Amino acid sequence: MRRHRRVGLLATLAALALFGSACGTSSNNNGNQPAIGGTLTIDNESGALWQCDFNPYNGSVNGQSFGVLYEPLVYDNLLNDKKTNWLASDYTWSSDSKTLTFTIRSGVKWTDGQPFSADDVVFSFNLIKQHSELDLQSVWQVLDSVTKDSSGKVVMTFKQSAVPNFYQIAGQTAIVPQHIWSAFKDPVSQVVKDPVGTGPFTMSQCTGQNITFTRNPNYWQTGLPRLQTVTYPAFLDNDPANAFLATGQAQWGGQFIPNIDTYYVARDPQNNKYWFPPINNINIWFNTTIAPFNNKAVRQAIAYSIDRDSVSKKGEYGYEPPGNQTGVLSPTFDSWIDKAQADKYGYKFDPTKAAALLQQAGYTKGSSGIYQDASGKKLSFTIIDIAGYTDWVASVQVIQDNLKQVGIELKAQNLESNAYFDKLFTGNFQLAYGSLDTSPGPTPYYELRNTLHSGTTAPIGQTAAGDYGRYKNPAVDTLFDQFGATTDSAKQHDLIKQVEAIMLEDVPVIPVTEGVAWYQYSTKDFAGWPTPADPYAAPAPWNLPDWEVTLLHVYKKS
Amino acid sequence: MSYIARRLEFFVITVWAALTINFILPRIMPGNPGQAMLVRFHGRVSPQTIKALEVAFGINNNESIFQQYFEYLGNTLRGDFGTSLTFFPAPVGDIVKQGLPWTLGLVGMATIIAFALGTLIGMLSAWRRGGFLDAILPPAFIVISAFPYFWLGLLVLLVFAITLGWFPLGFAYDLSSSINLSWDFAGQVAWHGFLPALTIVITSIGGWILTMRNTMITTLAEDYVKMARAKGLSPVRIMFMYAGRNAILPNLTGFAMSLGFVISGAILVEIVFNYPGVGFTLLQAVHSEDFALMQTLFLLITIAVLVAVLAADFLTAWLDPRTREQA
Amino acid sequence: MAIRILTDQAPVQTPMVSKRSGIAGTLASALLSNRKALAGAAVLAAFTLIAIFAPVISPYDPHALQFEPILGPSRAHLLGTTGNGQDIFSQLMWSTRESLLLAVVAGIMATVIAVVVGVSAAYLGGLWDHVLNLVTDVFLVIPTLPLMIVVAAYAASGGVAVLIAVIVITGWSYGARQLRSQALSLRNREFLEAARVRGERSLYIILFEVLPNMTSLIVAIFLGAALYAVLAAAGLQFIGLGDTNALSWGTMLYWAQANGALLAGSPLWVLAPGICIALLGAAFALLNYAFDEIANPALRPVRRKRWS
Repeated sequence: MRRHRRVGLLATLAALALFGSACGTSSNNNGNQPAIGGTLTIDNESGALWQCDFNPYNGSVNGQSFGVLYEPLVYDNLLNDKKTNWLASDYTWSSDSKTLTFTIRSGVKWTDGQPFSADDVVFSFNLIKQHSELDLQSVWQVLDSVTKDSSGKVVMTFKQSAVPNFYQIAGQTAIVPQHIWSAFKDPVSQVVKDPVGTGPFTMSQCTGQNITFTRNPNYWQTGLPRLQTVTYPAFLDNDPANAFLATGQAQWGGQFIPNIDTYYVARDPQNNKYWFPPINNINIWFNTTIAPFNNKAVRQAIAYSIDRDSVSKKGEYGYEPPGNQTGVLSPTFDSWIDKAQADKYGYKFDPTKAAALLQQAGYTKGSSGIYQDASGKKLSFTIIDIAGYTDWVASVQVIQDNLKQVGIELKAQNLESNAYFDKLFTGNFQLAYGSLDTSPGPTPYYELRNTLHSGTTAPIGQTAAGDYGRYKNPAVDTLFDQFGATTDSAKQHDLIKQVEAIMLEDVPVIPVTEGVAWYQYSTKDFAGWPTPADPYAAPAPWNLPDWEVTLLHVYKKS
Repeated sequence: MSYIARRLEFFVITVWAALTINFILPRIMPGNPGQAMLVRFHGRVSPQTIKALEVAFGINNNESIFQQYFEYLGNTLRGDFGTSLTFFPAPVGDIVKQGLPWTLGLVGMATIIAFALGTLIGMLSAWRRGGFLDAILPPAFIVISAFPYFWLGLLVLLVFAITLGWFPLGFAYDLSSSINLSWDFAGQVAWHGFLPALTIVITSIGGWILTMRNTMITTLAEDYVKMARAKGLSPVRIMFMYAGRNAILPNLTGFAMSLGFVISGAILVEIVFNYPGVGFTLLQAVHSEDFALMQTLFLLITIAVLVAVLAADFLTAWLDPRTREQA
Repeated sequence: MAIRILTDQAPVQTPMVSKRSGIAGTLASALLSNRKALAGAAVLAAFTLIAIFAPVISPYDPHALQFEPILGPSRAHLLGTTGNGQDIFSQLMWSTRESLLLAVVAGIMATVIAVVVGVSAAYLGGLWDHVLNLVTDVFLVIPTLPLMIVVAAYAASGGVAVLIAVIVITGWSYGARQLRSQALSLRNREFLEAARVRGERSLYIILFEVLPNMTSLIVAIFLGAALYAVLAAAGLQFIGLGDTNALSWGTMLYWAQANGALLAGSPLWVLAPGICIALLGAAFALLNYAFDEIANPALRPVRRKRWS
């Protein structure tokens, strides 16, 4: 319970239109030499009994359908932006990056036997245009039209160049069958009990406590999947889910396990394994509109006052690695990090440096050991946090301890999540501990843009979709806008490095730790799992639609 | 007032009280969190749904409190319990219906077992006052009844399900099954329900032992029991047919009234055992601050308990004419 | 949640006490002669001492995250450390304060309401009795935990005061029912008649004639309410309601469970606070049981004569 997986809560927040890109080569994975069979059990705290609703456009239930039942046009790997053509067999950008043309794969059938076609794609996109509630990724903020041309290709036009939005449009939007969905009167509140998709599995049984997926024998990737059955039990809480996994009753886990080496690995050291790749940053957000956080020196001083290693170790059992001030996830996006620049600043727990910065800025240490400004106002702040996220609460306790050693007083306000998000979104805080979306995107661009671009923010008191700290810097906005208009990878890397320079110098937020995709797996009966050496998909069962790709690779050992 | 009329009055008043508590709570609590919840709803649901939620949570009070109150009562009586944030678009009523049978089944079985066993032990220990049974069992169970249900559940789960692997780790029936009428399925339900029921039984049995022992002691002093002894009837017959039978009747009312307590404990047990009853759902509602769901659960659990209470009441009245005459 | 079974029959052969000064003495001597009561009282006294001297007994700051996480028990850390590197023994000692305070305060408040409602209902009779009785029944039958959860969820940031309020609101009705039964049976006793004939006011009669004669039942009700408070608070804190940063046994269990302590290698983190809750609860339960015996002599243990 307490340690919620942090997915659902943010899902209701309309994701922002994002910009940028890269081209990918397309290849199919050809699973062969298959021994088909086996029943794999997924172990993932769902927080509720299943509703048996397989509507991929409903943010609270799409985790049970998007991927294995309904598929995207292109699979875009969250960890490395590697693109694989899926329901589209090819795509091209126009030279001005404002038109995107998809060639639709032929020979694909819906699970009810009807042929899949470009019409379904056009229908799906226009469906979520008509019903904006279904547009979970806000793709219509940048799309202008989606039509079929005379050669049967799907043509998408954009209001502005929006190369990075490829991830949301091609990679994150499920395609549904027109012949079924056109009959739905109100697709928003439609409960889909008998899903028909193109995916590798069909839903064969659903009860409140379990969903059974069965192999689709007519799947378009011939020979796949190699698993006969996948079962997905509903767990309200981490504890029973973890116990289920530890006792070997499930093989694929996706939630936090405390002291995992004792709890899980030690029970079968040969086979029980885990890998936690970072996928987002957990930050300290400054409300940059108020003093003293409008003062760069104070922000820098605080960044030098945090022992990220200690936060990671005591708050997160070391599973969520310490963050770095560039804001680029390591090791996930190492190729984007400007190490030389980061080393120049050398942000680490450095009370001397922090003290020097504060003194230069005119602060003196008062009798209580807390710094104060010339008027005697103490550096004493309140940080908001979610009471239910026990790891965050513990992390903030470590941060309080760190800052106290430097001479800054921090008070924690642990809120219920509704109250917390209300304050966070409206900018009604001094400091906030928290993150953006759980899975921001396949390059550093997505998270950084949403963190820093003033276009995502809103005045204090109004709901901001990103940039909760109300940071405004035209230079950084321009960098992101340039990124959105280019498909040149080298140029993109260069632009992100310039953003990193601003992160290091200006410290608009402090990345403290890195949120990870929780992923445990057992190699006792199954092989083919994603690993650091072969990161073919983001590995948690709640990574959508990556879990489909994982289930296509995994097979029963003979 | 006739007995039945009085019980019905009680029923109606209790339901009304539960409804009114639901109505008042969001209005008297500081910093109405319903407001924040509503923010998350916008853009997802129809204006009518938003309106109903506003009425339920007392937001945007253009109407007088009485208007809101009657509108709220009307909505609820029509079976419109509102929309769950967590389970959108499923109506709250459906979600509760999914879990309620499991909870009632678990609590019902466990309570009947605890009642039967506890009553028997209580009877025996009163019969042999100061004997071995009387010296050990009542005090032992008094101590055990002071254990938190959920904590005992954690230990039971650790020992019997995780370490020994004798029982399943959770759920109400095997994952691969769906609900059906068969011996096999009934076996699964018994198997999965065993540990949670065991936890409830051992923590609640002490109360029954004690109550039965106490009433039995009083009954044993009655003239008709003395008379039976004097007549030389067999002790077993006196114990069960004379004293026991009469001592049990007042306990039946207690049996019904205690369901509210037991169901409260069961909620925590369900959480520990990943049992798909309403306790499970209630916790989910708490964590996602889904107030509509939370309040509906409270209301429907109350009604379920009330129905059980009435059933037990009428059963007692049928068995024991004295009850009907009592004021 | 302790189960409490209600029967309508009044356990009423209260020892009549004519002078107020005699009550304490009567109760004390009854207590001392009852082994269950002695055991309960001893445990309660021990916890009270721990609560008072927690700062002295605890070797470390209970909040400080200064140690290695998940250390086993050792001389430095009698019960090991938590997943966040706090000393479990220090936390346990400090937690005694809130848990004990909560039980006693909530117990007293619930008892006061029970006395007021129960005795008024019996003494005023008629419509008053009917209404008060109905209210009592309603609160008895409404499932307390769901109600507590809903209230506590609304008042999420309220801390101990909210917990106490919630427990009192849901915990008084059982006692009120019992008190009413006993007060009803006292109503027509001769000594009350005598007082009425003397022309005493109702309030006087209730305060100085009725209540003293119900002392042992009132004490028993307080003990029952305190037991209820211990378990209810533990349950609510266990699921994370109330202030999770405060130190209490229920909150310790919340954190232990959040960190999967039983399976993750620190079982003492779960066992220790659970045993404390059970011990405190058992202390109240044993005393309660003893007072039932005192209030109802028919229930007193039959002892074989050993000395003669």
